[in-house]
Amino acid sequence: MNRRIFLSVGLGLMASTALPFAAIAQTPVTWWYESANPEQQRAITQGIIDPFNASQSDYQLTIDYRGSELDKQMRVALLSGNGPDIVYSAGPSYVAPMARAGQLMPLDDYAKQFGWQDRILPVFLEMGKYEGKLYALPKTYETLGLFYNKTLFKEHGWEVPTTIAELEAVSDAMLAENIVPFASGNANWRPANEHYVSLVLNSIAGPDNVYKALKGEMPWTAEPFVKAITKLNDWWQKGYFGPNYFSLSDEQAFAQMASGQAGMMPTGTWQFQRINTYFPQNNAEAGFVGFPSADDIGDPVYALGVGSTFSIAADANNPDGAAAAINYIFSDDAYAKMNELWQGEWNMPIADLASIEVKNVQPLYTDTMKGLATSVANNHYGYTTWTFLPPATDAFLVNGI
Amino acid sequence: MHKLYVVPTLIINAVIILVPALLTMALAFFRWDGITTPAFVGLQNFQALWVDHVFWTALGNNLIWTAIFLVVPIAIGLVAATMLLVVRRGSMVFQVIYFLPMVIATAILARVWQGMIYSPVSGVNGLLQRTGFQTLDPLTQPSTALFGIATVDLWHWWGFLCVIFFAALRQVPHEQIEAARIEGASFWQMMRYVLLPGIRPTITLMMIMTVIWSFLVFDFVYILTQGGPAFSSEVLSTLAYRSAFYDLAVGKAAAVSIVISLFGLAATAVYIRAQAKEFQQ
Repeated sequence: MNRRIFLSVGLGLMASTALPFAAIAQTPVTWWYESANPEQQRAITQGIIDPFNASQSDYQLTIDYRGSELDKQMRVALLSGNGPDIVYSAGPSYVAPMARAGQLMPLDDYAKQFGWQDRILPVFLEMGKYEGKLYALPKTYETLGLFYNKTLFKEHGWEVPTTIAELEAVSDAMLAENIVPFASGNANWRPANEHYVSLVLNSIAGPDNVYKALKGEMPWTAEPFVKAITKLNDWWQKGYFGPNYFSLSDEQAFAQMASGQAGMMPTGTWQFQRINTYFPQNNAEAGFVGFPSADDIGDPVYALGVGSTFSIAADANNPDGAAAAINYIFSDDAYAKMNELWQGEWNMPIADLASIEVKNVQPLYTDTMKGLATSVANNHYGYTTWTFLPPATDAFLVNGI
Repeated sequence: MHKLYVVPTLIINAVIILVPALLTMALAFFRWDGITTPAFVGLQNFQALWVDHVFWTALGNNLIWTAIFLVVPIAIGLVAATMLLVVRRGSMVFQVIYFLPMVIATAILARVWQGMIYSPVSGVNGLLQRTGFQTLDPLTQPSTALFGIATVDLWHWWGFLCVIFFAALRQVPHEQIEAARIEGASFWQMMRYVLLPGIRPTITLMMIMTVIWSFLVFDFVYILTQGGPAFSSEVLSTLAYRSAFYDLAVGKAAAVSIVISLFGLAATAVYIRAQAKEFQQ
């Protein structure tokens, strides 16, 4: 490196560190995020950071990508009092210990100030409460259902299953044709195991029983749960999950469904983001329905899951700014923009989606999300294991399979 | 005055090893979620481990792992090292080839084996399956998962031992080897009576280190299977990690860590005694 380049690089570095000071008129708000690829980081910048900073002149929101170790870093940072203003956690079950330790700020006043009670689906506000106080807002909510390859179904004259019996009939037909019934794989994400546990708990044992078990009014060894898990085991033994469950990533499994090597995929709404990558190249069309339920339950049950939450640190430097930023994330604009740029990951639980127009998105996705919001508003939903079970119980479901 | 020279190392050791070690030992008697104030529970964590079948599986797997690593890589390493000694030609090239896997980061090695060899989609395994061989991905079967991981670790590990043994073999006095040759010793006699006794201290040290390292094994297991399927490849270190960071049971994790340390301590004690004996001779 010659002297000139060295000098200019040095000056450039100094200038880049000096820039934030130039904009010091606005108080900074810090936010640590988990891992995101460059495209996703761009989505966050365009959908949240830039518009929020442009929308007001008091605060300057900055984001810091901490990778998959965010949770551990956050724990250490909060213990030492050096955490960010906006505390981002992996789910409600992580919020409780932090709230108990007094590391989070109750959000009730901000909720009143910004009118979150009216804008956010009430059940999700309930999930963020600890000992009667609101500590967290869910960033995104998701549900489980059944993706299927519409084109493949048409070719073979199969009907989309609406009962467990129909599901088994069509799966057996697929097995006979050497097609894997359930595209699935946990090689990159072991917790995929619990998606299926959540499905059978809600669709076969039923949400009412799960609720009783969660409240401790019914043991997990009760007959409905045994029935549900036995059913899951039967499906596994019959080969519904295919021969390579432990070797495939969920993306590889999704690609197999798109190419017709597999017929259906019982999984979560986060897979919507993959449809455009894999279905058009196979000249196929994707479908999504609720997972069929047992006869005594009737309509498909949408098990609710919360992926990540927002809270404010108790010793935040700028709690007001953090609240304003969180409030912006729950705005109609942010919802529209984020769902256009990054589908499936930014489904904020906004009560009224009717007025929000999301551009460049499959109607299948928006219809599903609107249907889901309505069904939640009508108190018709189930419980995912990763949102409602305490960490150790949840980890056992994942690792015991 | 010269005693002051040990102070920097002592400080580093105290701060980085002693303090965390003492804290971990203390935590084993507490219930702690990593955030709130720890609560003293006496021996409860150990009692919980005693009735936890996953703990016993993990301990069993560590013992199997130790047995494999005490035999296989040491045997391969010894044989290859003597070969290098006997056939001097190209020994440099072979040393480099054998040692190469050791230089690559374990995370990358594990990913290469997982994706390019074991995977039925993108790996050699898939190639075999498509050409009609009924192969299985060993990582996916509870009965073979641990051995699938051990294969990867063995592949990357034995070359290191080979190079260490080769270096030791070259220190064996040349006169002894020459004398044995003149006496007409066969290859096996040469091994049995000259070479192996000549490098015995190195072999003992490597075996003791193998015991310690086998109880610390974590990286390959965690990357390849995370202890699955169904806990079949769980080892103590992955159990401790999961307890601490996923189950938020730091006390239990500390208890598991103490069990790991006990095995390391036993191995170290054996080593120090063996060494003391040697000094006396």
